[in-house]
Amino acid sequence: MIFSILEHILTHISFSVVSIVLTIYFLTLLVNLDEIIGFFDSSDKGIVITFFGITGLLFTRWIYSGHFPLSNLYESLIFLSWAFSIIHMVSYFNKKNKNHLNAITAPSAIFIQGFATSGLLNNMPQSAILVPALQSQWLMMHVSMMILGYGALLCGSLLSIALLVITFRKVGSTFWKNNRKTKFLLNELFSFDGLYYINERNSVLLQQNSNFSFSRNYYRYQLIEQLDYWSFRIISLGFIFLTVGILSGAVWANETWGSYWNWDPKETWAFITWTIFAIYLHIKTNRNFRGINSAIVASIGFLLIWICYFGVNLLGIGLHSYGSFTSN
Amino acid sequence: MIVTLNPKILHFSKLNPQSRPSSRFHRTRTTSLTTNCKLQNPQDGKSSGSITKTISLSDSAAPPVTEESSLKGGGNGGGGGGGGGFLKRLPRKVLSVLSNLPLAITEMSTIAALMALGTVIEQGETPEFYFEKYPEDNPVLGFFTWRWIFALGFDHMYSAPIFLGMLALLAASLMACTYTTQIPLVKVARRWSFMKSDEAIKKQDFADTLPRASIQDLGVILMGDGYEVFMKGPSLYAFKGLAGRFAPIGVHIAMLLIMVGGTLSATGSFRGSVTVPQGLNFVMGDVLAPIGFLSVPTDSFNTEVHVNRFTMDYYDSGEVSQFHSDLSLRDLNGKEVLRKTISVNDPLRYGGVTIYQTDWSFSALQVTKDGEGPFNLAMAPIKINGDKKLYGTFLPVGDTNAPNVKGISMLARDLQSIVVYDLEGKFAGIRRPNSKLPIEIDGMKIVIEDAIGSTGLELKTDPGVPVVYAGFGALMLTTCISYLSHSQIWALQNGTSLVVGGRTNRAKNEFPDDMNRLLDQVPELIKTSVD
Repeated sequence: MIFSILEHILTHISFSVVSIVLTIYFLTLLVNLDEIIGFFDSSDKGIVITFFGITGLLFTRWIYSGHFPLSNLYESLIFLSWAFSIIHMVSYFNKKNKNHLNAITAPSAIFIQGFATSGLLNNMPQSAILVPALQSQWLMMHVSMMILGYGALLCGSLLSIALLVITFRKVGSTFWKNNRKTKFLLNELFSFDGLYYINERNSVLLQQNSNFSFSRNYYRYQLIEQLDYWSFRIISLGFIFLTVGILSGAVWANETWGSYWNWDPKETWAFITWTIFAIYLHIKTNRNFRGINSAIVASIGFLLIWICYFGVNLLGIGLHSYGSFTSN
Repeated sequence: MIVTLNPKILHFSKLNPQSRPSSRFHRTRTTSLTTNCKLQNPQDGKSSGSITKTISLSDSAAPPVTEESSLKGGGNGGGGGGGGGFLKRLPRKVLSVLSNLPLAITEMSTIAALMALGTVIEQGETPEFYFEKYPEDNPVLGFFTWRWIFALGFDHMYSAPIFLGMLALLAASLMACTYTTQIPLVKVARRWSFMKSDEAIKKQDFADTLPRASIQDLGVILMGDGYEVFMKGPSLYAFKGLAGRFAPIGVHIAMLLIMVGGTLSATGSFRGSVTVPQGLNFVMGDVLAPIGFLSVPTDSFNTEVHVNRFTMDYYDSGEVSQFHSDLSLRDLNGKEVLRKTISVNDPLRYGGVTIYQTDWSFSALQVTKDGEGPFNLAMAPIKINGDKKLYGTFLPVGDTNAPNVKGISMLARDLQSIVVYDLEGKFAGIRRPNSKLPIEIDGMKIVIEDAIGSTGLELKTDPGVPVVYAGFGALMLTTCISYLSHSQIWALQNGTSLVVGGRTNRAKNEFPDDMNRLLDQVPELIKTSVD
């Protein structure tokens, strides 16, 4: 009984803290709160609190149910929001290189958590027993790697979508001047490699934005460059996790059913996601195609991850039926 | 690979009209002009691929061409050969076509699209299903009928010729790419190329000049940061993370290994499944059926498998937790060679054959009626829904030859408890087979003696598994390693000042900060005389 109460408390704590953090971020965007009160750092601390909250939640479920907390859709969603809070903390520890992951991970964490606890998933929050096929050590490795991979890839593809949006927007750059981020970017401007990157930019972009003033172009290019770089780094990391996850799943299947690849819908879609991000990484190596094309591929990847994670579960068939909406 | 330019062939491409005015960054004596140009191979008379290089012309000797060109197209593979015959050039041409990156990307997207299609179209159904679902008079998307499906083999997509053909093409591309682009890349990366001129160093992604510093101090500091440092006279070359350059090759080789293993599995394995009631046995060779055309049975196929006991564990809530089979393997002479209790996720391996516990079934119910018996009543599956099953049986009472014979019905969800109904079909009670408690139904004393289960086993022998596992391990390892960044640093001692330049292939954002941090540590020499 104690455990379920503890679980409830922790769920509520993490959810509320993430909401507060998100509110602070939005306020920062409109009004420059940093000069009024030192709020910016406190939102980082807020994410740390959320991280501990969700960790506690997962541990409680683990002790309560006796198995690793990754056996159905609800638990995997909690795990996903945990993955997002970890990724957010990377930027917290990397203080000198303030990146823009914060804007992506905090809202993602809150949406995932909100959806999980919203009650759309009927009785799933209650801990269920594991069927015989799931009682294996491989469960921990395979599913956690997949969820971490999904989290990182989702972040990366969201950054690419942001890149596309910023590239193709022609209006509404007035709030940029007030943004704290651009003031920070100013420090990096007068360095050799900054101008080098500008010169290397695709001529397409130059022609598109020639009617804007030079300073606005400049901030925008710098931001696009940053987004591109961070998207690449985090997608590479997510790709490693996804590879390890898929392969450990294959080995587990071989130990249980004697066949390492069954063309199960979920397996196939995970492989398709892997292929798309492999295409993304290959496009990045080739300087001719870079820039917009890789961002488009990563955005397609975003859709594919959701199809792989949720869409297949809606069917509720195949070897992965444990994660379906209908299973209780 | 040094390229000499013949002015007659050189022409400026219209694609990038702006030439980089890099002269304002170089405060040196020589003038620098950077152009983007299209090279023509003088031998064939036709261009062997558009190679966009940036070439800096200066007073000093031309520096080695940067590696970026080798990442594109790879059409240089055949550039070195003399005027040999067409036949000699054909494999090189094929290689250069196959190792084209856009082709590889197209192949990967096609495979992804086919796989997605395979999940949308139901696989392995009867032809009538497709006639109904994709009829000719009302085609899906306006043109897609069952004729398309059977012509392209979409009903068995993952073994259809078009899919396997694409995979084979991808494998060929992988091999060609590894041979033509990746391996030369290794040679270039390993070369300890000292840069002899200031301009070459200053052209790197990151470059800096330290006015009063010594190259030895820089070397020591770089070594402290994990770089491998090489010094020759006044110049220095250091690198870190070379594994990050090799790892992509490892990734491609691992993928080829997995494909080879998969092919082996598809052509040389045996599999079969069997449901054996407790107490009976079977011979492996009778159950295993070949999958491909290379399948060869081994000696261990003559082994006899005896199911000694089949048990199930339950949770407190009554759901099935695990099922176990106690198996003994006996050879041709009847001698027991192995005995093991297997369960789900814990298979038995013997002589290349693996036996997996995958399922269970209810074989028979042993009951005694008024002391008569025991009767072995076979249990029939009434409803099977994945893990949830329902079995039932019927004990006839009275004249068994009469048309509407009545009897006692017994239903069971698992081997633990049996639900008994009387002659009218009304619920009579629940009994556990272990308890041997009798139940009174319409004047008869029924005792349920035992519930005999049968184990569902799956047997498999697969020669490709070791190869595939090796490929998996290699892929995981090399993917992780290729996240590392390969950084290279060059330095030149110019009197009292030190020119430093460097570049990296992955962690481009952090590199300038790291470099600045390192260079800040280089001590400034305030001696008045210079040795």
